[in-house]
Amino acid sequence: MSEQQEVVERELTMSRGMVEAIAHEMRANDEVFYMGEDVADYGGIFDSTEGLLDEFGHDRIMDVPISETAYLGAAVGAAQEGMRPIAELMFVDFFGVAMDQIYNQMAKNTYMSGGSVSVPMVLTTAVGGTYNDAAQHSQTLYGTFAHLPGMKVVVPSTAYDAKGLMHNAIRDDDPVVYMFHKRLMGIGWMPAPDGPKTPVPETDYTIPFGSADVKREGADVTIVTLGLHVHRALDAADSLAEDGIDAEVVDLRTLVPLDRETILESVRKTGTLVVVDEDYRSYGVTGEVVATVTDEALAHLDAVERVAMPDIPIPYARPLETETQPQAADIEAAVERTQ
Amino acid sequence: MSADSRVPVAVDDIWPEAADADEGVVINWFAREGTRVSAGDPLCEIQVEKADADVPAPVDGTLAEIVCAEDDEFERGDTLGWIAPV
Repeated sequence: MSEQQEVVERELTMSRGMVEAIAHEMRANDEVFYMGEDVADYGGIFDSTEGLLDEFGHDRIMDVPISETAYLGAAVGAAQEGMRPIAELMFVDFFGVAMDQIYNQMAKNTYMSGGSVSVPMVLTTAVGGTYNDAAQHSQTLYGTFAHLPGMKVVVPSTAYDAKGLMHNAIRDDDPVVYMFHKRLMGIGWMPAPDGPKTPVPETDYTIPFGSADVKREGADVTIVTLGLHVHRALDAADSLAEDGIDAEVVDLRTLVPLDRETILESVRKTGTLVVVDEDYRSYGVTGEVVATVTDEALAHLDAVERVAMPDIPIPYARPLETETQPQAADIEAAVERTQ
Repeated sequence: MSADSRVPVAVDDIWPEAADADEGVVINWFAREGTRVSAGDPLCEIQVEKADADVPAPVDGTLAEIVCAEDDEFERGDTLGWIAPV
């Protein structure tokens, strides 16, 4: 054993992990810049750019007018001309006003130009509920972005993953949608659960897209999930362990590309699949994962459950939002139904 | 090492200038008890009247004790934790 693993002692919040990767890439490459609403002087309303203005100034950390079509379109153009823009959509819920720029320009221009341009941009965006921000500010819309070909889709659940995936996103030559969950960022007014703050190396490192991470190994049931619900699934797994049920928790980390092999490998071992998603139940992540398993490993599948947001607008009232969103207890109950 | 040589993690020097309040809350610790820290590195993050500030490690050493855990409230002049210098 000649190589010794560096022991990392400091821990970072997910937002700081993201920001460290962005700052590293901006130092290394003058073509990388960040623009969005309240990303400069405010530092991002969910701390996604905290501290970057001090180091890089307003030329490279740019506040923009409230016109998503204008600045996301500008990012597509800059990317096609060889820059590496990171453009932030403050809430993923606002994507609709710039849908043509995202769905038809960013995602398709490489193809439409016959490969004469590429679009090496990152679209960062805040996702998720749990803080009573109602139906237009609480969605994840994972399925909406993963559905259309042409965009890679990243959903980190820890600081370590957030940093490595951000390095990879900025270096990628194709458009990447980087969806960070507000509840995981480590913000004062929205305390994170215990899981997302992790040791993070100071050096740069990448996590390849399409590599799911088994956050907990188990023999009895496979729980596939992403984002905030990785932590709720881990909580559920701890409770289930007390009842003698050994759950494996698979964190997808990227939806596009999707690491189907890790899902299949786990289900071939456990025979049981529970998919957990904060996005709507229909036409989404849960359906795609279940279909993947029935396509490729049907003979191994003894039981399957889906736990997702019902197909309704996300309620504003706290008890109603809590009731409709998948909680750890809902995941436990779904697992128990499969046993 | 005697307990007397420990260095306090204090907040007075980094208290947000705009804040009128004398109370704050600990949002995040970036080190656990027993881990090594370097002088100047962010040790924890506090919030005073919605303004966030990082509290740097005062000296090189080991984080010997966390006095105010995450979500704990404290007052100006309080000690958030103790560093055992190296």
